[in-house]
Amino acid sequence: MVMEINVSEMRRVQLFEVIGRVDSTNATELGTAMDRAVDDGKSNLVLDLSGVEYMSSAGLREMVRILKRVKRVGGDLRIANPSERVREVLELAGLDSVFEIYPTQVEAVGSF
Amino acid sequence: MSETATSRLAIGARLEEVRRACDFVVEAAERAGLDERAIYHCQMAVDEALTNVIEHGYGFRDEGNTIELSCQATADRFVIIIEDDSPAFNPLTHEAPDPTEPLDSREPGGWGIYFIRKLMDDVRYERIGNRNRLTLVKHIPALAGARGSAPADATLFPTRDLDSQTAIVMPSGRLDSNNSPQLERTLEAQLSSGKTWLFVDMADVEYIASSGLKVLVAAWRRARDQHGDVILSGLQPRLVEIFETVGFDMLFHVYPDLDSALAARPAKR
Repeated sequence: MVMEINVSEMRRVQLFEVIGRVDSTNATELGTAMDRAVDDGKSNLVLDLSGVEYMSSAGLREMVRILKRVKRVGGDLRIANPSERVREVLELAGLDSVFEIYPTQVEAVGSF
Repeated sequence: MSETATSRLAIGARLEEVRRACDFVVEAAERAGLDERAIYHCQMAVDEALTNVIEHGYGFRDEGNTIELSCQATADRFVIIIEDDSPAFNPLTHEAPDPTEPLDSREPGGWGIYFIRKLMDDVRYERIGNRNRLTLVKHIPALAGARGSAPADATLFPTRDLDSQTAIVMPSGRLDSNNSPQLERTLEAQLSSGKTWLFVDMADVEYIASSGLKVLVAAWRRARDQHGDVILSGLQPRLVEIFETVGFDMLFHVYPDLDSALAARPAKR
């Protein structure tokens, strides 16, 4: 198993905890999981990346796609606790100012 | 100069094989003594390069094609070579996406090449016979000096002294986690030498990440403690937007250009 996604429904937020490695073989799986939530009318999403050891641009692409989707319906996709390396990649892509990034899951969830 | 043996791997031209290539590169990079961050960069660059070849070079058609990788380390560089027999394609001639563009105008994809260039120190493409060859190079920093501390000859951004207390600092490029330490060292060096009035001209700064913002605030605090100030000028529109978002436009004195910043400098302190 390379990547695991745990989805929990909170009061105002749908939380996605991702564990493992996000690359071109499984990034769409992550996107699809978030798509399902948006299809169900959930548009406040938190993506907890603390368990992600590695993410390639395929993962970023899905995150940006979902962000655009939820923003259109007044929601947001917020990031919790990315590793130093994943954060660097977000910075390189200029996405650290596009996504709201929180140091902890609690803060990310509480921000909604 | 000791040279390690070249290690080689061939993978099928399928996405499921990329993981194996990443593991191979990580192991070779570890043996070469690269640090965790450089290893991550190599892994990601190879992942992006292979994904591009499989998606665009072979168009996902698996006809038993193989992609060959080799890794070699010398004293100061780690070299990864990727060869495939898909149609000629020089990724380096393709336009990179602009990370400063607003989200709405960003096309998904096209990031692979961008990352490869950002993550590696040198990237070269050659067409040899009917094969594409992509060479990725990561410099291995000299081991001299304590681990974790900046090398003594670490580069600083250009500065110009105006008087014993005042200096102009001229950072450039992207102030992200790669380059913010350079700004930090530059500002620290000025503050330590008694320059408490720092005019930071941001005209050539194309992007600032949170790491860069943190460095500016730390320097501002320290300058303030010594009855000085950090004064900014020449912010590009994109930076102005970032500064406003995080409220830094309230914290710093910001001038449209260096001349107007200097003109506003108190004559006597």
